[in-house]
Amino acid sequence: MSMTPVQDPRFAEIEEHRAYLVRYAIAQLRDEQLAEEAVQECLLAALEGIAGFRGQSALRTWLTSILRFKIADLQRRTIAERAREDVGEQAAANEDEDWIDQQFDETGHWRSPPQAWSNPEAALEQRRFWQVFEKCLGRLPAAAGRVFFKREVLGEDTGDICGAEGITAGNCWVMLHRSRIALRECLQVHWFGGGVADGR
Amino acid sequence: MDADHAGHKLNCRQASRLLSLACERPLDESERQALRRHLDACLMCRNFESQLEFLRTAARRLADAP
Repeated sequence: MSMTPVQDPRFAEIEEHRAYLVRYAIAQLRDEQLAEEAVQECLLAALEGIAGFRGQSALRTWLTSILRFKIADLQRRTIAERAREDVGEQAAANEDEDWIDQQFDETGHWRSPPQAWSNPEAALEQRRFWQVFEKCLGRLPAAAGRVFFKREVLGEDTGDICGAEGITAGNCWVMLHRSRIALRECLQVHWFGGGVADGR
Repeated sequence: MDADHAGHKLNCRQASRLLSLACERPLDESERQALRRHLDACLMCRNFESQLEFLRTAARRLADAP
């Protein structure tokens, strides 16, 4: 095992994907510390193997494929510990349900009504948008964030996600709904709300 | 808590639930009709509808960002 070669110019490039990789690992492992461990091992392996990376695929895609092996390793080691967390998932879903209710007044109207976003597709081309998007993802509650990541980023089937998380379809869906409303609000404030797009 | 939407007017809370649910499974006929009636009259929920689409596009793009 080599030391982390901080001086390698490719290190910075790989490092840019760390936040995404951590989120990916948390979605699978449901444990921040284990996720950090998996990503650390992934990044070390990537630095050692970067000569073999030919760039036909995006760097992120290549890193993710390495990470998947590291995650599978860790999952084999920790499989027995998973059941104990399931009680917490129900509480998380209840809290999400309450949060959703609070986004509407007693007559069921939006408290902060969704405004039209002008040309949202253009945001996808801007580096700064992705930083905001990552930040908004990071603000979601842990369980809802994991479920959203698997459903919308990785495109997994809702039934599979509920199974892996050990929660009912109803709870799974509540978490997704909360995530969508919260992300919408976060992007409204930090990106589409105006004045932010060109500045900072 | 939500009243059965068949034949009733939806409020925004109920409509937004259906819009989110539609990302998970096809809505049935009565859900679709109730939602359509609400959306015809509610710009805010139409905005929410297109923002859900945008969130999905952005999230999918995140997995293979350059």
